[in-house]
Amino acid sequence: MWMKILEIDLTAGEHKVIEDEDLFHMAMGGTAVATHLMERYCDPQADPLGADNVIVLATGPFSNILPVATKTVAMFKSPHTGELGESHAGGRLAMSMYNAGFSAIVIKGAATEPLLLDIDEDTVTFLPAGSIWGYSTTATDRVLRSGRMGQRGKRSIMRIGPAGERMSTYACATVDTQRHFGRLGLGAVMGSKNLKALMIGGGRYLPQPDRKRFRALYDTVYESVVKSGEMRKYHDLGTAVNIRNLNHLQGLPTRNFSQSWFESAEKISGEVFGDTYLANQIACAHCPCGCIHLAALREQFHEEHGFKTAQVSYDFELIYALGSNLSIDDPRAILRLLHKVEKEGWDAMSLGVTLSWATDAFLGGYIGTEETGGLVLRFGDADTYLEILNRMGEGTPGFFSNLERGAQVCGELYDCRHLAMTFGKNEAAGYMTGPNAFTDFIVGVRHSHLDCAGYALDQAMVKMEISVEDQVKKMADEAKFRMLLNSLVICLFARNVYTKDIISEGLNLLWRECTTDELETFNADILRRKYEFKLKCGWQPTDLELPGKLTEVITGAGRVTQEDIDIRADIYWREVGIPADCHVE
Amino acid sequence: MGKVLTAVAREQCIGCLSCMFACSRTWHKALTETKSAMRVRSYTGNDGAFSLRICRACENPDCVAACKTGALTQNKSGVLKLDSEKCTFCKECVEACLINALQWDSEKQLPLPCSHCGICARYCPNEVLTLLERKEVAHVDEDSGD
Repeated sequence: MWMKILEIDLTAGEHKVIEDEDLFHMAMGGTAVATHLMERYCDPQADPLGADNVIVLATGPFSNILPVATKTVAMFKSPHTGELGESHAGGRLAMSMYNAGFSAIVIKGAATEPLLLDIDEDTVTFLPAGSIWGYSTTATDRVLRSGRMGQRGKRSIMRIGPAGERMSTYACATVDTQRHFGRLGLGAVMGSKNLKALMIGGGRYLPQPDRKRFRALYDTVYESVVKSGEMRKYHDLGTAVNIRNLNHLQGLPTRNFSQSWFESAEKISGEVFGDTYLANQIACAHCPCGCIHLAALREQFHEEHGFKTAQVSYDFELIYALGSNLSIDDPRAILRLLHKVEKEGWDAMSLGVTLSWATDAFLGGYIGTEETGGLVLRFGDADTYLEILNRMGEGTPGFFSNLERGAQVCGELYDCRHLAMTFGKNEAAGYMTGPNAFTDFIVGVRHSHLDCAGYALDQAMVKMEISVEDQVKKMADEAKFRMLLNSLVICLFARNVYTKDIISEGLNLLWRECTTDELETFNADILRRKYEFKLKCGWQPTDLELPGKLTEVITGAGRVTQEDIDIRADIYWREVGIPADCHVE
Repeated sequence: MGKVLTAVAREQCIGCLSCMFACSRTWHKALTETKSAMRVRSYTGNDGAFSLRICRACENPDCVAACKTGALTQNKSGVLKLDSEKCTFCKECVEACLINALQWDSEKQLPLPCSHCGICARYCPNEVLTLLERKEVAHVDEDSGD
């Protein structure tokens, strides 16, 4: 792997290349390297939307070399939560960083005017981007891809839309064809730095190591992805298949988590999207699975047969957030909302949960038509939701601008925090499966379902009986193991492909010799470092409060109590080595 | 005549680039997609998401005709051969290929002729590429081709 960091200072308009073999030998790549670089470059007290915040991008020793090692890790201080922000994106970014010759990029400072960064190996060009400021994410991609693409290799384009420019705290950064650094507001951080877009590419490559061993390793992974069936579901219907599955298990959030099953789930199932709307499946670079599902949205814009067709990406989380959770049972309406979200550059999950909060707040009388400018909010009314998005896009201070700050801020502003489905200030992912999912959201280092896979454990619990202690231990072990997966950096859809033996062989061949014991210490250390950074930002492990509404609803595993969460959190903190009463001055 | 690398189901391409990685790895021992003798390109039209650039092993190829030094020749199987000692790096062979199938190695400043070995097809997960007898190529639906 490359042992180089590209450091870019937007304030000074300068960059430098830093060789740091010690860092990459110690921290491998991805999430581990990014954590170390955050410690090195980012003051935990930094204003998330100030020049002293930094953006770290990191890939790993398998990136662009083995199949499905397709993700890039982004780390920053989150404007949404005020503490450690981390998000992962696919597309071609990991490949293009490799081709440019870097395993990490650090962006610090802030530009005074809209800026485009064009990175071609060691050459970084700072280009004025005033002409594309205000462009949607899709228009920005269209213009840059046709106008400034280099000849060498494939280039990747990372950019923000108007939501990022307005610094919506849950604005995403979009990568290539509708891939995203979705969660925790990287788009707002880019917007605060006036960084509209970043293009990267180059022609660098590494020689193939030990041909026989490498071929055996590569083919094992490739065959497992393509032929074993481990990843078949991700290519076929994609994660949208879970709409039906979770509904069956009573784990699908509906109408702002009022209930865990959607009576119209069959109308918005992955099967319906696949059978009726799917136009293409495409892949991230070097992933033979191809899980990106693009639907064709055909819209009539003129009564005399004037039609336009857009391709809109969808998956389970998007259908939950803008479908069942808003009680919308028309796939076309969901795609219409998603298309707007894609262009503006919001995180679809945070947006959907904020809209569901607004609807609940309206129905509960906490807000009225005075706040909504005359709009009457009700679940299932897709046209009104689209109008809300249009008004949010105007950026006028007031209710619609507040919606761009997320459900928890709105809940506090309008005195109904109990209706905001947020954990650690982050809006919930689409799982009402039971206590493990909620515990994961609360204690997870990213407050994400991807931290400890609690939702999967809840589903497994249907078929087995183990103690609460052992359930939480499993989650803590998963959280630690994912430090390794996210340092490599592989797509988590391939987590069953990359067995411990394959990872070990890959590391010995492509990184350095290491023992199983060493990796276990590595995982625990990185997880602990992240929590320590969060503590320094002001996050408290004692902040375990379930959104009030959730203690009154029935999940797939029945009612979940605050006491249940507290017990589980205590076990988790013990398992990951974070004293629940600790604090950092 | 030997077998010819052919795209038989271009519309099924998912753009994973596994073919390009396999070519670069096999012929250049390079862990990259950039050394590949073929290309997968994004395609914004209405007929699939990707466009393929694959050597067609033409009869009387324009690339060979454009080579003034005899560095690029074609053998009896239709496969291009490069004598790098004779190459003057003029790139006229690449420019003569109307379908942009002949690739250029920007590092070594040499053309990257396809050997029609089929390693790219071996690593195609969606049965887009295959090796066909030349007489079979004519029967491939041209919309399913490059």
